[in-house]
Amino acid sequence: MEKIRVLSLTKRYRNVLAVESATLSVGDKEFFSLLGPSGCGKSTLLRCVAGLEEPTQGEIYIGESLVNSTAERINVPTEFRPIGMVFQNYAVWPHMTVEENVAYPLKVKKLPKEIIRRKLEEALQAVGLQHLAQRYPSQLSGGEQQRVSLARALIKEPEVLLLDEPLSNLDAKLREQMRFELKDLQRRTGIPILYVTHDQTEALAMSDRLAVMNAGRIIQIGTPAEIYTRPVNQFVADFIGLMNFVPCRVIERSGGAATVELLGGHRLTVADPGGRDGEAALAARPEDIALGRTGPIRCRVAAKNYLGNLIDYKVVASGQVLRVQTPNTEVFREGEDLGLSIQRAILFASDRRSRG
Amino acid sequence: MTASKLDRRYLLMAATGLFVLLVVVYPLWQVFFRSFLDAGAFSLKSYHKVFSNPTYYRAILNSVWVSLATAASCMVVGTLLAFLAVRTDLPYKKALRSLIVLPYALPSFFAAIAWIQLLGPQGYLARFFMQLSGREAAPWNIYSAAGIVFVLTVHYFVLVFITVAGALERMDASLEEAARASGAGTFRIMREITLPLVLPAILAGGLLAFIGSLANFGIPALLGMRARFFVLTTSVYYALAIPDFALATALSSMLVAVALVFMCLQLGIQRGEGRYTVISGKSVRPSELKLRSTRVPLFLGATVFVVFISIIPILSMALTALLTYWGAPLKQASFTLDHFAYILKLEAARRAVLNSLFLAALAATITTVAGVLISYMHVKAKLKGSRALDFLATIPYAVPHTVIAIAMILAWARPPASLYGTLWIILVAYLAVYLPFAVRTTHSTLQQVHDSLEEAARVSGAKLLARLRDILLPLARPGMIAGWILVFMPALRELTVSILLYAHRTETIGVTVYNLQDAGYREVAAALASIVMGLLIVGNFVIRRLTGGAAGF
Repeated sequence: MEKIRVLSLTKRYRNVLAVESATLSVGDKEFFSLLGPSGCGKSTLLRCVAGLEEPTQGEIYIGESLVNSTAERINVPTEFRPIGMVFQNYAVWPHMTVEENVAYPLKVKKLPKEIIRRKLEEALQAVGLQHLAQRYPSQLSGGEQQRVSLARALIKEPEVLLLDEPLSNLDAKLREQMRFELKDLQRRTGIPILYVTHDQTEALAMSDRLAVMNAGRIIQIGTPAEIYTRPVNQFVADFIGLMNFVPCRVIERSGGAATVELLGGHRLTVADPGGRDGEAALAARPEDIALGRTGPIRCRVAAKNYLGNLIDYKVVASGQVLRVQTPNTEVFREGEDLGLSIQRAILFASDRRSRG
Repeated sequence: MTASKLDRRYLLMAATGLFVLLVVVYPLWQVFFRSFLDAGAFSLKSYHKVFSNPTYYRAILNSVWVSLATAASCMVVGTLLAFLAVRTDLPYKKALRSLIVLPYALPSFFAAIAWIQLLGPQGYLARFFMQLSGREAAPWNIYSAAGIVFVLTVHYFVLVFITVAGALERMDASLEEAARASGAGTFRIMREITLPLVLPAILAGGLLAFIGSLANFGIPALLGMRARFFVLTTSVYYALAIPDFALATALSSMLVAVALVFMCLQLGIQRGEGRYTVISGKSVRPSELKLRSTRVPLFLGATVFVVFISIIPILSMALTALLTYWGAPLKQASFTLDHFAYILKLEAARRAVLNSLFLAALAATITTVAGVLISYMHVKAKLKGSRALDFLATIPYAVPHTVIAIAMILAWARPPASLYGTLWIILVAYLAVYLPFAVRTTHSTLQQVHDSLEEAARVSGAKLLARLRDILLPLARPGMIAGWILVFMPALRELTVSILLYAHRTETIGVTVYNLQDAGYREVAAALASIVMGLLIVGNFVIRRLTGGAAGF
């Protein structure tokens, strides 16, 4: 059953289109990410679900209930939505102790004192903050404030949890740790999460599914593996992971396969995306290119970076620079003449890389 | 869950909007509207009266030239002192700065009274001069246009000083160092680099001084009316005493018109400041000019000047209050505490103090609450129409207080709401006068509270009132307290509005001091003024402590 449904949602600020007819749904117990460069509309979309922004058009359901509908003129205020939310800057109230912060959602619900006390203890325990209950936020580290914010979002047992770049203000080590903790927390509580991030590693590592957004539109929705291995267009291919784009010419099409000519006459047959004949682009991941003493395409090593488990090469073939990553079993020198072969590639009909 | 709920914030905005309408918009509209009315029909008769009678049209010219002369001398004095206090190695600069801004913390009509005591025909300094020179009279007359310009300058040059000192502090030192590296000497750099760069600040300060002088009532009233030298504010007072409401509204409209022209100029200058963005919030400390051999003479000169304008008037006020009569020989037998005893026993004075305390506390509380609500709706909730509300609430900032008083008479002194002769009409006028200040301080306070703090409360399920009570007000409290005091203090000593609106039993402190002085009870006036001055200086100190030096002088 779906916990969040967003149906052709559009948000316009004066003449800027922040979100353009976005449709998505988050299932029960699902970790769903909105991924995209800054300004792509992912935060606006999240804030619409939270009710902090009013959509220009479209519908939003949380659980069973319709919380936004421009057609029916429904816009349920944030305070009546069954949501928990963690903000990028934590938004922990500086004039309240940890305990007061976390218990606040129950206090405004006017629950009996002993119930508040019990749930507060559970919530603090869930994020490991029992020993800091009496502290003020100014006495806490960034990671601890983050946990306060998380506990506060969870204590009212919302139907969904909304996270707006919650890890971006933490340092690298802590970020990695929190990533596991968040995932673990979700597994334990089973709460569906809508997660906004501009960090593709984060999105790939944590999500059950994710939506890649650009310029206000959702470009692709899928599991991390689908997004990585079968990007629908060059924007997604380029935005997720490393990708080589090589100009090529389609010279023959038959039965769903296309033969292309690239890098000084070399021919390759790949899955045909359709479209016109002629100029096109071939996309290949660095790990999908093999490098050896022999190989169909001649190239020269221009630069080499030793990454430990991998070796990262820049090679030049027919004037094209390519990134190639190989296991550390065989090492080539800079300036060495080699041969490469493309093991797996995706053909894109046009050569426009940045368009969504 | 119910479907769409009415956003309660719009209810709150409607209530606040009604408040602004009643206190600001409707009364000010009345001034403008009624100036074109004669026996219920459109007419230019009152304007005709202004421009056909030399007493009135000269008042316009007088207002303009007195204010221009004041602005010019403020710019010279303020800029010089700002240079000395910021960019030189003058000793005791910090102490000098707090003394320089002291006169502005006291009401301007106190300054007028003190300078009459000092420079008047039997004044302390006049007598001192006569003894020195052996002449029968001092070669100056404080009851004149020149006297008005002098006292206005002493009061308003601080505005130029503060803006120029701020600009000098924020200036990037490397601009001057580049000139020095190019081979320019110190004075050449000052003239060709520094001065042009702070010129916008000098002009902006000058305009503030101009607008302040234009709207000032106390100084031209105490120094000019005796010499039958009228400016716009005193003419309005005069027209009201006749009483001729049509004339008063026409003169008020002229006053607003002149103020608006110069306010627009000020906005133009502020916009033009973009060209001078080199003066930015850089932390580079500008270099200090070594005064070398001129250091001691300049220090002595500056000290004498600053003591002359800020300490001497206060001492003069206290001295007058302690003498049996103004002009008594300065020996032990002439000193007495009788005036203080008299004023403390005088029932009218006690009533005035209570009235002022009541009005100031109520005005400060109401404007702070209204200011918080208006700022909340504009800065935080960003509701449709909140911008317009914010703008309407700040209009009175541009309107001379004399005009606001007239507006209250026109709007709230006839049935069905006949408040005339009560404290309430003074209160409404105070609300209009101080609302812009309250909105401005709460504005910046709320801006410092990050949006997500309120959003987090919404997500937690807190409704509007709970959010205000639990999150926003506690976080904004320090700024609100400072804002409250910033309204309370000037309201406590207010003269311009209350002198036009008071009646028997509704006198304020300002009115009482003014009337005592005007009726010739100089010593008693000085005693009451001394008590108030003491309170103001202590209050000022409290504000500085509360705001960490951000407000107060």
